Amino acid sequence: MGDENNILWKKVLGEIETEVSRANFLTLFKPTGLLSLEDGVASIAAPSTMIIDLLQKRFYQIIKKTVDKHTNMDIKIIFVPKIINHISKDKIGIAPLLEFAEKKTATIGHLPRVRADYTFQTLAVSSTNQLAYVSATTVAKKIGTAYNPLFIYGPVGVGKTHIMQAIANEVYRNDPNKKIIYTTSEEFTNEVVEAIRNNDTARMKRKFRNIDLLIIDDVQFFAGKDRAQEELFHTFNILIDEGAQIVLSSDRPPSEIKKLEKRLSSRFAGGLTVDIEAADFELRCAILLIKAKKYDIDLSIDSAKKIAEKAHDSRELEGLLLKTITVSNNRGVEITPELVDSSFNQQGTEDKFFFRPDEVIKNVCSFYNIKETLIKGPKRDSSLVKARHIAMFLLKNDLSLSYVEIGNILGGRDHTTIMHGVGKIEKLLSNKKFSEEMMGIKSLLKNNKGNTRGL
Amino acid sequence: MRVSLLSGNLQKKILFLNHAISTRSQLPILLNFLIEAKRGKLTISATDLDVGIITEVPAKIEKEGSVTVPAKTFTELTGAIPLDKITLETDREGLVLTGDKTRTVFQTAPADDFPKLYEEKGEAALTLKKETMASDFSKIVFAASPDSERPALSGVLIKEEKGGFLLVATDGYRLSLKKHALKNVQKTKNKDQVSLLVPSRVIRELIQMEKDAEGADIMVYASEEKNQIVFATPDTTLVGRLIEAEFPIYEKIIPTDFSTKTVFQREDLQRAIKAGYVFARQTAGIVKLSIKKDKIVVSANAPSVGNNTIEVDAKTEGEENDIAFNARYLLDFLSNATSDEASFEMTGPLNPGVFREIDDSSFLHLIMPIRVQQEG
Repeated sequence: MGDENNILWKKVLGEIETEVSRANFLTLFKPTGLLSLEDGVASIAAPSTMIIDLLQKRFYQIIKKTVDKHTNMDIKIIFVPKIINHISKDKIGIAPLLEFAEKKTATIGHLPRVRADYTFQTLAVSSTNQLAYVSATTVAKKIGTAYNPLFIYGPVGVGKTHIMQAIANEVYRNDPNKKIIYTTSEEFTNEVVEAIRNNDTARMKRKFRNIDLLIIDDVQFFAGKDRAQEELFHTFNILIDEGAQIVLSSDRPPSEIKKLEKRLSSRFAGGLTVDIEAADFELRCAILLIKAKKYDIDLSIDSAKKIAEKAHDSRELEGLLLKTITVSNNRGVEITPELVDSSFNQQGTEDKFFFRPDEVIKNVCSFYNIKETLIKGPKRDSSLVKARHIAMFLLKNDLSLSYVEIGNILGGRDHTTIMHGVGKIEKLLSNKKFSEEMMGIKSLLKNNKGNTRGL
Repeated sequence: MRVSLLSGNLQKKILFLNHAISTRSQLPILLNFLIEAKRGKLTISATDLDVGIITEVPAKIEKEGSVTVPAKTFTELTGAIPLDKITLETDREGLVLTGDKTRTVFQTAPADDFPKLYEEKGEAALTLKKETMASDFSKIVFAASPDSERPALSGVLIKEEKGGFLLVATDGYRLSLKKHALKNVQKTKNKDQVSLLVPSRVIRELIQMEKDAEGADIMVYASEEKNQIVFATPDTTLVGRLIEAEFPIYEKIIPTDFSTKTVFQREDLQRAIKAGYVFARQTAGIVKLSIKKDKIVVSANAPSVGNNTIEVDAKTEGEENDIAFNARYLLDFLSNATSDEASFEMTGPLNPGVFREIDDSSFLHLIMPIRVQQEG
């Protein structure tokens, strides 16, 4: 109901009030309202068929006359059975029972160490994490019975933590009385150390062995921590026996975690082991759109695509998105693909500055396990050619060297050869398998860089 | 109009019709009955615009017609004259009621001034069977708010669920809920899931109507578009509005756990609360229940009047606990419940307490406690 209608109807009622008896006005006219006034028809709401009948029989003419006068039109009046609520919100009486319920809901969603916004609803699902998503939702629905333990592994920034916390949130939402512990292997180890130091292992045992759901993130860091492993082993056995659910995550499958006791790794793999692959392009776009919504930003699909091209894991995505948002705020312009481009070119130089051409070549070679001399040499075996092309691409794209320079670095090749190589890789990048390979090389590069810088 | 009938038949029907006459009504026509003799039937209608009642009275129609008469005088007179065959006839004077040795003339108003109670009933949604209907509704309707300031709290929600119907009502201080209610209800085929929020006033009248219905089924017609609900037995029809409001999310209010549970004889506690209410009445109705191992101690205290303590035998599991309630709410539950034994569950003096009937697990009643200062 628009304000205009309200005002008009108030005027109409004001006039009618002077013409009909007080009894009629209070019982019949007071609870009415003007719902709409369109195409010469006024829809008037009245609470019941009985009131409508009386209005129609006895007051149609006076209503029509008054409405016509105020609108200067020939209006047809129709009545709709509908209760108009005149009571304003703040006049509502108190209802302690219901407020009690509201208070109770307000506390829901708060689990220590678990982010409330990491839920299944905010998770973008595509083929790369479909399996993990399905098994996680199943586990959340039937804790302890579906897959126990559930072991999720995958590289950094693919959403392992999101899925694990979503399980915690979902279980908690369905039954706030469930005892849930979410922790990381690091914290678990700390607790073990603390308990040993304080000579209070019993308390720790009580804490971890009396729950319905145990979630441990990044179990690869248990490697080499024997005492923590032993504690986990016993906790694990007891929880499984009691039908409690265990969910674990790691960056690699259980069998590949080094320095992890055999009995533990075999138990890790005893339930369902699922992997999450690096987010594909479409998923990265979807994640961006979800995150943008979280920040209440209008992000166009094209801009999202542009950002998704530049970043590879979800943390990087969020970082780049935030950067874009900041740039757009600073410049006071909307986010467009062009803005994304320009804001990243800045960032690009920051990053690229640190790499030297020989580092790039060295890392590409070590990734493919070939000698540096071969990549600069004349041989054209297909494996060599691929590595060579990748080196060209990285030198061009990440280090912004000229084609001629790159040609010189790679054993005096012609600049057109370099152009061809770079073009070839650019085409290959849309291939998922290949882009994963590229990411591997890049992360190797970064890691090694980090190490050398640290020295 | 000219009809002849037995005054006894008229008396029976007229009492219920008066439920739809509001003495506070501002419109004179609403203080009248509409008497209609049409198509071989004699019907009498009454309405206060919130609810309407139409009832058929067995009669012989000699001449069709319709008229309205003042409800109050008509009711009083028909109750006062001897049970006999009477005739009702309109003439220049008004409506003339003639019995063996009596003659009465009523002032009348034109039938046209009387509102039509409904255009059409709408689709039949349900058929209610007599057996458990009235007792099911009686356990629910008292928890609804009598005024309509917050519309949703003045209604009873009738919701179709797996394996039956759910009835629930709350006024914000207490809540009554019954699952698997309205046994043997017949649902009209192909109808969507039924979910109706019906004013508690209408439900109260429905319970009354069912008592008079002598075992007949009650058809339910609901039209959201017309904002109208109609309950009909073969001879009586009750018309009301539906409430257009979201019913509060009640699932969250119901505690899933308790730390104290006690079982007692319902009438014992009822008597104790009634006694406590003598004093509690002076202090906003507050009575305190102390749940002990083998008893419930009911105490009430009115500073300037006196105080009272009564023990009720009970079997308690879990910890001992104290809680305070408004005695009116306790009495409402205790008088509307039907089982001999009842139970009470609580988790703390500030959380809602749950009452149940021992022989009916599908029913529960929830009351918000009153926060009182701890003594000593």
